[in-house]
Amino acid sequence: MKKMWLIGLNTFRESMRKKTLYIILIFALIVIGASKLFSFLTAEEELKMIKDVSFSAIEFFGALMAIFGSLYAISTEIERRTIYTLLTKPIRRSDFVLGKFFGVSMIVLINFILMTVFFIGLLFFKKSPPDLQVFKTLLLIFFELMLISGITLALGTFTSDAFNIICSFFLYIVGHLTSYGKELVERTENIIVRGLTDMLYTLVPNYENFNIRDKIVVGLNVSWGYVGWTILYGILYLCIALYIALYFFEKREI
Amino acid sequence: MRKKGYRYFVIIVILFVGVHLVQVQIDYRKKLENLESALLLMPGQMAGSLVLGGFKGLAADLLWLQMETLWHSGQHYKILPLLEAIAWLQPSYILVWTIGGWHMAYNIYAAVKTEEEKQYWYDQGIKFLKKGISYPFNANKYDIYFELGWTYYHKGKDYPNAVKYFEKATKYPHPDYVDDVLAHAYEKNGEIEKAIKQWEFVRDNYTAFFDIATRMINDLKTKGKATP
Repeated sequence: MKKMWLIGLNTFRESMRKKTLYIILIFALIVIGASKLFSFLTAEEELKMIKDVSFSAIEFFGALMAIFGSLYAISTEIERRTIYTLLTKPIRRSDFVLGKFFGVSMIVLINFILMTVFFIGLLFFKKSPPDLQVFKTLLLIFFELMLISGITLALGTFTSDAFNIICSFFLYIVGHLTSYGKELVERTENIIVRGLTDMLYTLVPNYENFNIRDKIVVGLNVSWGYVGWTILYGILYLCIALYIALYFFEKREI
Repeated sequence: MRKKGYRYFVIIVILFVGVHLVQVQIDYRKKLENLESALLLMPGQMAGSLVLGGFKGLAADLLWLQMETLWHSGQHYKILPLLEAIAWLQPSYILVWTIGGWHMAYNIYAAVKTEEEKQYWYDQGIKFLKKGISYPFNANKYDIYFELGWTYYHKGKDYPNAVKYFEKATKYPHPDYVDDVLAHAYEKNGEIEKAIKQWEFVRDNYTAFFDIATRMINDLKTKGKATP
């Protein structure tokens, strides 16, 4: 556990030195701040726009950070050959992978907190303090970001950086569309197509589960039951991603 | 290593079974809480959805801003496809239905010349509002019922329908003035007894309306008419 913590801390420190993440964070804060420009709208419309823009910015830029943070976590160690030194020490490969995930999670968490604080500050500035529904939305966005990190990290154990980045973005888009695909296929009578779609529906991470912001901004309520099941989904899928990462990393010849 | 590989495989399969079961629960919850996308994907619209991914709300906002610009430049007709697009992207956004219905039944109505055209846009406004309440997540809010009732009452002078929709609006949490307007609608519809009862309800429940409600009750009882 201590080794995992040290690897995580080291990953976190190393990532903090990267300029890419700062640039993404600055962009995110600019976009969230820019939502204040809608003051020519009515109060209700303006608040909706602020929430829409901010939630989307937190998710999109958070996803960028999660992908870029995880992308180089393992591959850099292999490229720089620092992994050889590390693995000669009494460190299990599972400690290494989980430590890397832990480090990336810390980066995602800190950036997420910064963006969230900025967004909530903006809401207070607009004299509309956030309600519980806003926090539920943010909680689900955070779990989505963790899942994206886990999946990118897992892909990084057996693919090149270029393929990993393409694959992660592709999964991010497809993961938001699986629900619509399923709705379409539910209208088909072909059993094979339906079976295949059901299988894909389970295999592809369903990021749309985490997307409740469209409902929250227009005043719909989402129960804790839904939030709980979705978090459980995120945790289970994250376990799958980490198991895949462990499997491929242990198989890898280093 | 091979044995370990099988172990991983088995664990991953078990976890996927868990993911599937949880997804079933999530889908059920989505239905229960009206959290489904409610997007009808037509072949031509698929591309748009692909681009939008998880950012439908943001796209709706951009269209809304475009609508505001057109609105202020007096290009009323150009707003219509935007309204449809916003409603398609975010059908739970009540404002798009109420503003859309009002825009058709009032603004375009005023802009056209002939009676046939006026009737057409009035009907279109009503149709748009009814489409809004056909979505289950909008059907349990007073807003669109009230807008429908008001359009029937004020623009169409169709009092039976006005009463019908104002009554529906009062079934859900609503501001005080909805009860006030319902009382007027009862009177205009010839239901004087109901109008008096409604004014009594308003008088007893909303202090801000006490004076006007008392006067209305008095006028209805003495003159049989209160609303100008």
